[in-house]
Amino acid sequence: MPDSKRFLHPETLRRIARLDLRARHVVEGFLAGMHRSSHFGQSVEFLQHREYAWGDDLRYVDWKVWAKQDRFYVKQFEEDTNLRCTLLCDVSASMRYGSQAMNKYEYGCTIAVSLAYLLLRQQDAVGCVAFDDSTRMIVPLRTRRNHLDSIIRALNVSEPENKTEMYQILQKVAETYPRRGLVVLVSDLLVGREGLFRGLKLLRSRGHDVMVFHVMDDDELDFPFTGPTRFEGLELPEHLRCNPRALREGYLASLSSYLEEVRRGCVRNNVDYSLLRTSEPLSAVLAAYLSNRLGRHHRN
Amino acid sequence: MPAFVHYPLLWGLLLVGVPVVIHLINMLRHRRVQWAAMEFLLQSQKKNRTWIMLKQLLLLLLRMLAVAVVVLIVAGPLLRNQFGNLLGSTKTHHIVLLDDSFSMSDRWADSSAFGEAKLVIQRIGTEAARQRQPQTFTLLRFSRVARIDRGTQPDLLEEPVDTGFSSKLDEMFREIEVSQTSAGPTAALDAIGQLLGESADERRIVYLISDFRARQWDDPTDLQEQLLQLNEADAEVHLINCVDRARPNLAITSLRAAEGIRAAGVPLLMEVTVQNFGTTTAKEVSVLLEEDGHSRPGTRIAEIPPGRAVMDRFLVHFHTAGEHQMTARLESDAVAADNVRYHALSFPVDVPVLMIDGSPDARDARFLSIASAPGGPVRTGINPQIETPRYLSLNPLAQHHTINLLNIERMDRSAVEALEQYISAGGGVSIFLGERCRSQFINDELYRHGKGFFPLPVVGQTELLVDRLEKAPDLQVGDHPIFRRAADERFGFIKTVIVQRYFAAPDGWKPEADSTIRVIARLRNGAPLVVERRFGEGRVVAFLTTAAPAWNNWARNPSFVVAMQDMQAYLSRRGPSEVSRVVGSKLELELDPDQYQPQVRFMKPAEYAAPPATIDAAPTADGSLAAELAETDTSGIYEARLTTTNGTSEVRRYAYNVEAEEGNLKALLGPQLAARLSGVKYEYRQAVAFQYTVSELAGYNMSEWLLYLLVLLLIGEQILAYSASYHPPARSRTLRNAVFA
Repeated sequence: MPDSKRFLHPETLRRIARLDLRARHVVEGFLAGMHRSSHFGQSVEFLQHREYAWGDDLRYVDWKVWAKQDRFYVKQFEEDTNLRCTLLCDVSASMRYGSQAMNKYEYGCTIAVSLAYLLLRQQDAVGCVAFDDSTRMIVPLRTRRNHLDSIIRALNVSEPENKTEMYQILQKVAETYPRRGLVVLVSDLLVGREGLFRGLKLLRSRGHDVMVFHVMDDDELDFPFTGPTRFEGLELPEHLRCNPRALREGYLASLSSYLEEVRRGCVRNNVDYSLLRTSEPLSAVLAAYLSNRLGRHHRN
Repeated sequence: MPAFVHYPLLWGLLLVGVPVVIHLINMLRHRRVQWAAMEFLLQSQKKNRTWIMLKQLLLLLLRMLAVAVVVLIVAGPLLRNQFGNLLGSTKTHHIVLLDDSFSMSDRWADSSAFGEAKLVIQRIGTEAARQRQPQTFTLLRFSRVARIDRGTQPDLLEEPVDTGFSSKLDEMFREIEVSQTSAGPTAALDAIGQLLGESADERRIVYLISDFRARQWDDPTDLQEQLLQLNEADAEVHLINCVDRARPNLAITSLRAAEGIRAAGVPLLMEVTVQNFGTTTAKEVSVLLEEDGHSRPGTRIAEIPPGRAVMDRFLVHFHTAGEHQMTARLESDAVAADNVRYHALSFPVDVPVLMIDGSPDARDARFLSIASAPGGPVRTGINPQIETPRYLSLNPLAQHHTINLLNIERMDRSAVEALEQYISAGGGVSIFLGERCRSQFINDELYRHGKGFFPLPVVGQTELLVDRLEKAPDLQVGDHPIFRRAADERFGFIKTVIVQRYFAAPDGWKPEADSTIRVIARLRNGAPLVVERRFGEGRVVAFLTTAAPAWNNWARNPSFVVAMQDMQAYLSRRGPSEVSRVVGSKLELELDPDQYQPQVRFMKPAEYAAPPATIDAAPTADGSLAAELAETDTSGIYEARLTTTNGTSEVRRYAYNVEAEEGNLKALLGPQLAARLSGVKYEYRQAVAFQYTVSELAGYNMSEWLLYLLVLLLIGEQILAYSASYHPPARSRTLRNAVFA
């Protein structure tokens, strides 16, 4: 399958094409665009008045206020900027599991590519990091339309392997992209929770708007196995021979507490969290998510 | 350690390994899954490892146990006798008590109660022969119980059961038939205790195979005690009933001669009684009669209500002296043995009758003698002999059929004792008083305050003072065999009898209610004139007036002749051969060594063609000879052929009949028996439905309890398997519901 078609699904793209991906928090861009910048500048959006100080540009003195109050105030405006979005895509061995049409890796990459397509279409800058225990591939931020191919090539690894080391990756991302932007993490998050939360906290502390797409397979969520089964760890060396029904209750309990912990950790760090099943149609899930996010953005 | 019906099936216990093998196979057949979320799986496993392991082990154990229990049920575990177990014995002794009384010949369709009993024994024997443990078999018929003390052994006594045992039973049963006895279970249960004694090293199963007739089981107090004793001795008791209901049955319960003179050429009235043991009225019952084996016209009874007996009379006429026999038969019904009844009669040429007269002219005796044997063409069979009172002391009296005491003034004490002995032995005595009689002698010697044979005290001679113009008979008689013909209204002669004088009883005397004394004739003034009493086996009739026409004119009245002949017949003693004997009782003869030789030849009813059994009579302590025949198992006429010391032969006949009550086929079934045998541990079965399984035969069947255990095990297995999540959940609970809720 050509690389461009592996992660690009026309149906998904068609459904999200009319939507925008907006940064929920204030981000820094290098072009004037649709996202609010942290810098004041030329814009039609009035923000506030400030008392005139020596050296201010006289163009921004509000003469109407001077006329009424005999004081000099200057007008300050919001500066619009473009979005700098970094897609962090987990390509570790655990993402290889899949019982549906797409495994977690393919599902996650499809999300990332779809979002990249959308962002590039908005004239936003998109970069990409594929990682497992280290960064496998880094694609710098670009706004060109043909940049999508670079991202697809970066994500298209032959076989996901190694385990995920989340904190180091996120730390590296924070260092690589010092300017505030949107960071989208697509992973199954089968990692140490402490490192994950530390990493997310670090990103947030650097001013990034962080989105987490938690990709899980149906089997992982429902554990429908019956009959004697030998489970062999994809990332861990352990294996387990058991009757799955005997362990199902305990497994689901552990998983539930894990998901709850992840959700709470994301909320605590003000990270946008979304759990996705690989069995769910990606187009619908993504469209619903973006619509939802857009609605919240407008409310903000 | 329980025994098993099918030992080879115990190899099936190897199947307990099947669950383990299945588990191992499943281990090999497991599928491999490359799994990402191992962390949670390992957590679950770590958390539940001990409990899961425990449950799985328990589950495995339950399944193995369930397989083992199934195998054990199929193998048929048997719980042995407790004491036998303690001593390690495995011997089983089957004790079969078989009711072969004639009620067991109860027939229906193509079967009979006894046939069913044989089949049951066959089944027991066949199953016993299949056992691996040593088995012994004892078979005792009720009818043979009485013979055990005479050395007769049971049909089988602790016979080892082997493979050929069944055919041995077959062969034996070809010869065994229902007896004609009415033997009950009590003696059989007693005999078992005596025969077997105590044995702690064997297990005993007692089978009582009977028809459980109400006659024996309606009030089974003794049987209950005997069965309880068996329970205490740890013997298992099985009651097997061979009948399912009472069937209608008619039985001849009595065939006997009525009062009368038994003498050649003298007609004799006989009575036959037929009882209906059924629940519906029997109509037009024909009784076939045979005289000396030759058919004669029978009688017909119009109807017999249920549960009632009806008696019919008929006359027999034997022209020759000697031993005769009568047979009465009914048509065939459920039980054959009680449809026939025999009676033996000894007819002499004439009957010696002694007349003791106290007056020298013997006037009273002569009148009585003439009345008893008038002579001429009419035979009464009575041979009167007139003697003085001294005769009583000097001669044996037993040969006389009746003794008549007339106008006796007094007798020696020895004469009185001889008379008392004669009457007690069944003799009949008539007493006529007269002018020579003294009330003191009568009261002191003959009455003796009721201890003597005279029936009442007297106060002395008295005149009958009545108004003769008043038209009323002096002699007023009741319904009594002596006066039944004489007082017949068609003749009316007795009404003309005039009594002037008589011996009066004390004022206010009347017989006690519970005594045998009865006034059978009174004077018109109410004074007793003829009084009867029983004394021992015999009878005494006292006339308180004279026989001769001294105090009355009765001797000149035609009714006197009739009454006196009937009186002789009434008092005439019955020969010992006329007593009906019950089948199974010994035939005992006592012989005078001076008259008879000791060899006695006995002829049984069914064996006239066979040579007679010769038995030597043994001398007894009193100097006489005693011979007995014990084998009297069939009804009919038995003959004892004696030889006198002078070489002549003498034949005596004895009738043996079945006990009529045994023909009452009313039977008790399981619930009724249970109500009467409370406290007794037993198993009750109907013979028709008797299918002995091996386990029942050999001991307590544990299969039933094992079945319950198996059900519990399977329920436990299901619960445990469910709790171990080996069952699919009722509804698929997904995490999605939890997460996206």
